[in-house]
Amino acid sequence: MKASHYTPSIHWQSWAVATRHLRVLLLNWHTALVPPIAEPVVLLLAFGVGLGSQMEDFTWNGERISYLTYLAPGILAYTSFMMAFFQSLFSAFMRMHYQRTWEGQLTTQVRLEHVIWGEALWAASLATFYVVVMCIVLMGFGLGGTLTLQWTWMVAVVPILFLGSLSFAFVGLFFTATLPSMDHMGLPFFLVIMPIGFASGTYFPLPDVPWLHLLAEANPLYHLANGGRRLLIDGVPTWHLPKAMLICLGMLLVLVPIVKRKLRRRVFGEN
Amino acid sequence: MKKQILQVEGLVKRLGGKPVVNEVGFACAEGEVVGLLGPNGAGKTTTLRMCYGFLEPDAGSVRIGDWDIQKDNEPASRALGVCTQDETYDGDFTVRGNLVQGCRYYRPIIENRDERVDEVMETFGLTKYADAKPETLSGGYRRRLMIARAVVHRPQVVFLDEPTTGLDPEARLLVWELVDTLRAQGMAVVLTTHYMDEAERLSDRLILLKDGKIRATGTTESLLGDVVGDHMVVVSRTGPNLDGVEIWLEEKGGKHSVILTDWHVPMGSAELAEFVGRFPNLRYEVRPPTLDDLFLTLAKEVSP
Repeated sequence: MKASHYTPSIHWQSWAVATRHLRVLLLNWHTALVPPIAEPVVLLLAFGVGLGSQMEDFTWNGERISYLTYLAPGILAYTSFMMAFFQSLFSAFMRMHYQRTWEGQLTTQVRLEHVIWGEALWAASLATFYVVVMCIVLMGFGLGGTLTLQWTWMVAVVPILFLGSLSFAFVGLFFTATLPSMDHMGLPFFLVIMPIGFASGTYFPLPDVPWLHLLAEANPLYHLANGGRRLLIDGVPTWHLPKAMLICLGMLLVLVPIVKRKLRRRVFGEN
Repeated sequence: MKKQILQVEGLVKRLGGKPVVNEVGFACAEGEVVGLLGPNGAGKTTTLRMCYGFLEPDAGSVRIGDWDIQKDNEPASRALGVCTQDETYDGDFTVRGNLVQGCRYYRPIIENRDERVDEVMETFGLTKYADAKPETLSGGYRRRLMIARAVVHRPQVVFLDEPTTGLDPEARLLVWELVDTLRAQGMAVVLTTHYMDEAERLSDRLILLKDGKIRATGTTESLLGDVVGDHMVVVSRTGPNLDGVEIWLEEKGGKHSVILTDWHVPMGSAELAEFVGRFPNLRYEVRPPTLDDLFLTLAKEVSP
């Protein structure tokens, strides 16, 4: 039976690659773990508490809520997006191009498909871990009485965000396969992170511009942020999350073979 | 008769539409060292990369033991080890960490892994650097680590791609000793090099590649005899009685090389006799050919 593009994700080699990254993270936990966790906490404090205290009249979905309440679910979605994208772009590029970790792995029983899936699974797992840490931080705000969410729904949101992270990881790997050098790293930030981030309703509701809403319909982060928001604030499941899952699955279906092909060309110099 | 561990047949590889390896085939038995020799761009590394499954050949096959590297990649890869030309150790781990992590890329799981890692570090003189990061080691020790990582899972065949490039003479000698150790342990070893003395001293058999094809195979002596000739005549271009020498050399096919102020002329016995008779008053030196002469001769050959 010929393996499909998607089967290496369940092979032991992919997990060997992913757990290698976990071991490195654990070795460098003091420098590798603190800043990515601290960043969304700082954002939450700066925007949610700081800026939020200046916005007494914040209305969302016809109800008055605190800006921190609006922001918290969006931050969860944004964390899954940013962390997965950053890991699979910057860190994977470093391992492929400068550290030559991939080349070392490819001289063993590990094949390129396993390296790709290992990188993607690792990026998605790490992003999801950060999401879980953020959930714990948010619960701390809840215990402090400054935030009220439907906490039990977090159990449903986290696995969906893992799927989102996995698809964002493949977007990152696409650029890893495409960018000629580190000097071009600004391009994906300009082309992907800024438009997806701004048109997602993470930090502020989208303005009432029809074409922007039309574009946002194709933005998985928009659906993840808003679907998570309705669920965590009102406890109401909406079509946003199924739409997000469909878009993410569609991204995976399209991107996995493309990434595989482009990286084959990049790593082996083959067509 | 020794068991053949590696069997390579009819390898072809095109990169960017250009054939870089063309119908290359050879074998390597247990306890044998085969040297792939050739100038830069001859196809040595590409051949090696196809042998260990990094590159997929356009045609041909590679068998490691009972397995085809393409069809039975997982068991075949388990039976081979690779030391790449570039430093591909894992800079995020210590020396010990590199070897332990190397073991994690293999199934079936390496039994008594920690003991095996200690044993390999002892063999390769790395024990005192077990907890050091590779980048803090000298080039020689980093190369030892690369070779140690290539054999930590007890492979049957080891590929060493230019294992001593960039090392000082002392470090090179140590790597040579390690290659001898691998040979003594019964591993089949395939190495590429463009160091003549290295190929000569380490290899039981040499395969000479030029423009992606096998130009000649055999022992150092037979290779030199086939490609260069039996003798090398060195004539000073600034000495006396040179009248007609250059014209004669051109008439004989212009096989000579100019190195600084000397002509280095490969000759067979009959040609040498003719040369001696033709220039009785000329001062020159006659010496056996070396692998350096082989490369210079190859460089003069015109590709079809």
